Formats: sequence, C-alpha cells, structure tokens
Amino acid sequence: MTIDTLIHIAINIGITIINIAIVFAVAMLHVAYATYFERKVIGHMQVRLGPMRVGPHGLLQPFADGIKLFFKEDVIPANADKPVFYLAPVIFLVAALTSLAVIPYYQGFVIADINIGLLFIFAMSSLGAYGIIISGWASNSKYAFLGGLRSAAQVISYEIPMGLSLVGVMIMAGSLNLTEIVNAQHESPYGMFAIPQIVGFIVFVIAAIAETNRTPFDLPEAESELVAGYFVEYSGFRFALFFLGEYIGMFIMASIGAICFLGGWTIPKYITDVLPFLSYVPGIVWFLLKVYAFIFFYYWIRATVPRYRYDQLMAIGWKILIPVALANIVVTGLVKILL
Amino acid sequence: MTVKELVNKIFFIEILKGLALTLSRLFTHAVTIQYPKEKRLIRPGFRGQHALVRDPDTGWVKCVGCGLCAAYCPSQCIYIFTTEGDDGKKIVEKYEVELLRCIYCGFCVEACPYSAIALTENYEYSDYSRDALYMTTEKLLSNWDKFMSGKKGEEFFKKFWRPLSEDFGTPEGQAMFRKTGKG
Repeated sequence: MTIDTLIHIAINIGITIINIAIVFAVAMLHVAYATYFERKVIGHMQVRLGPMRVGPHGLLQPFADGIKLFFKEDVIPANADKPVFYLAPVIFLVAALTSLAVIPYYQGFVIADINIGLLFIFAMSSLGAYGIIISGWASNSKYAFLGGLRSAAQVISYEIPMGLSLVGVMIMAGSLNLTEIVNAQHESPYGMFAIPQIVGFIVFVIAAIAETNRTPFDLPEAESELVAGYFVEYSGFRFALFFLGEYIGMFIMASIGAICFLGGWTIPKYITDVLPFLSYVPGIVWFLLKVYAFIFFYYWIRATVPRYRYDQLMAIGWKILIPVALANIVVTGLVKILL
Repeated sequence: MTVKELVNKIFFIEILKGLALTLSRLFTHAVTIQYPKEKRLIRPGFRGQHALVRDPDTGWVKCVGCGLCAAYCPSQCIYIFTTEGDDGKKIVEKYEVELLRCIYCGFCVEACPYSAIALTENYEYSDYSRDALYMTTEKLLSNWDKFMSGKKGEEFFKKFWRPLSEDFGTPEGQAMFRKTGKG
C-alpha cells in the first residue's frame, strides 16, 4: 500500500462522511418539518388552522416538540425487559435511517451506490419489523403486546405486494440499482414507469401506506383506540425515536415511489421538448417535488379515509393486492418477451 | 356484485370523491378565531359580568334591598345584607354575587323593579382563585363605572329590558322607573 492509495482512501472516506452528515441533517430537518406540515395540512383540510403560536405561523413548533420530548420523564414499566426495551426504538430507527444511504438524490449523489439497492431497502424495512415486535414484547403490557403483534403481522404481510409491485419496475429497468432504474425511465418512451406500470404503482402506494402504519391502515397504533399500540409505554425521548423512525419510513417509501415510478430526478423527454427551460432546473428540485407530492398524498389520505378494521386490512393485503401484483408481473413479463 | 359496484371498487370512485372534498376544503378559509388576537363579535345586550347601578345622587347603590333578585335567582348566588340607616330607612350594607354559581340568565336584571343591577358585556375576567371571583359590593359598583359609564349605562335598561317604557311611560301605581325617593 503506497502513500498515494492511502491518501486516496482517506479522501474517499472523508467525502463519504461529509455526504452522510449532509444527508442525515437534511433528513432530520425534513422529518421535523414533516410533522409540522402534517398538522398544518390536515388542519386546513378540516377547515381549521394548525399550529400558529410558536414562532410566526407556528414554524418553530417542531423545535418546541423536540425540547418537550427531551425533557420528559423517562417512564419504564415495572417488570419490563430492560435491555430489550432500550434496544427496540434504536432498531426501528436504525433500520429506517440506513435505507437513506442507498437512495440517489440526484445525478451522481448516492452515499452507497450498490447494485442491489432496491433489495437492500426491502431488507431494512423487514428488520424494522423486529423493532416493532420487540417493543411490543418488552413493554410488559397487554395493549402494547397486541399492538406489536398486529403491527408486525401487517408490516410483513404488506411487504409482499410492495416487493411484487416493484418487480414490474425491475423487469422494465433490468436492474436493481436505483440509479440505473432512474436512467432507464429517462430512456424509455414513457418517461416515468408510473404510466405503463399504473397497476403496480397503485399497489405500491397502498402497500407503502400500510408498511408505515399510516391511516387508513393504522389500527395497530390507532391513536384513539389502542393509544399508540406498540409504543404506548414509551415516553420522552424514546417515543421521539419511534416517531422519527415512522416519519423516516414515510420518506423512504416516498423516495422509492419517486425513484421507481415517477422518474427520480429526471423529467420525461416529451415534457422538456415542449418546455425547454425546464431542463435547466437542477435534478434535486424534481426529486424533492416528487417526494413532497407523495408525502402530501399521505397526509391527504389521512385526512379523508377512515381506518380499516384489522381483518379487513389483512384481507386487502393478502387477497387483493398480492394477486393483482402477480398479475401485473405476468403481464409485464409477457409484454417484455413478446414485444 | 353489480357492474357499478365493481367499477367503484376497482377505480376507488368513492375514495376519490372523498379526496376531492378534502382537497377543496384545503383551500377554503379556516373558521378558527385566534382568541387573544381576534375576538368574536359581541352582540349588544350580551350577558357578561354583573354590575350594580350607581345612584348618581348618593354615590352608593341604587338597590333598596327588596331581595327580589335574590329570590328569583335560580342558582341562589346573590347575598344581600341590609341595616337601618341614619333616618331609620333601610339601606343596603353589602350586596354580594357569588360569580362561580351564576348562570348568567339575567333573571335578576329582569326582576329588579328599580333597574339597580345590570349584566355588562364584559367576559374577560378570569382569575386564579375562588376569592377573586366572589363579587363584593365595591367590585360590582366599580364594574358599573368601568363598563357602563356614560351613554351606555343610561340606554342599557331602556334598550334591552324595558323597551316599551319610552313609548308608554310608567303608569302611576307601578314601581318601575320611579326614582327611589332618596334623592
């Protein structure tokens, strides 16, 4: 190992660390303001104002929430399994945060450009289910336990249609590498895979909402019924960790939707032909717009649809989404072979 | 399942209608009134905090201590203490309203033959202790000066409680609107 290669390696590591810091800071800021915008958007949809008091128009609300959660008393239930209790939110949050590392935000900016990017994200969301089950068990409380079981069952059931819907994208793109998928969308005549893969897109959206335990699939953490389900016994900072993990999961799903179905940081060629000035807009802006649109859709659905009962929820996942996703794969494969 | 139901399920027609409704509501004005900065419009005659009418001639309450208001009050929250005055006449020593029992019905104002008690339009008098919300005579009198001074006080009874008195005047034998005989 010469000095040259060592310096090379050190510079690479330095750049990677800076990238990680930037992505982490931006993701945390996004998540904090996602909570604020959720309250504002849902408030206005219910013809009321959201937070208005902390800072102008309530803009400093996330900081007020963070400070409050930081100073709250850390209550641990008696007879709770302590090491496991401490570990659960960490597992949940880490599984969500690691997925941030493989997402390409714009041309050339990925922390880890691995060839199995999509598979890595599935794997990480499956590991997140460990955090849920462990927190439900370690809380030593019947409600938490039931909530944890239900939520874990829901998450693993909806991972299947989510994966299957993305198989259609994989077939059309020919790769699991997320950058390649975006490039394939730019090359293809449709511009975005959402157009030929519309069925897959709808299945993905529904599965994504169920994966992150959001309304209408949020019975395990139904705020008015099970009082936060599997994380009912967590208070203060640990609760904040779960909450963060949930919102980062939302962002990850939104990013995957934007990358795999909506074209990532590119806009379709047929649009830039008509409006050439749009090609001067940097790619990150399009990526963020698509992610924000997805997140807005999450809030919009939350303000509109009542929640599903647990058996209806599982029935939808297994009896409706999986056959539809499988049919989509068959049709996509046939079209790819025959045409 | 009929064709219509099938189409509804596959294309999520009802969910889309719901989404359209919430989206349209997103762009309508919120109905919230942000309290300390914006206040709700108070109609004239609003029944708020109590005030005892100050007799301009004596400077004390106009009340003679008949006790009709206390008798009529549904919550029994008015306490009247009377003594014998200098010339042997009945004077009101203490007139107290227990505000936390009051239901703001206005029966006391309606019952009073001398128009000696009024309900002002003030509603912003929250406090931290029960004692502060037990209205003594002095507090009630000062309320009159604060909230009903000038034209407001003069017009109050005519406008809201006895509107016909302007047109018809008071018949000879009736107690209402007769000066109390002290001044």
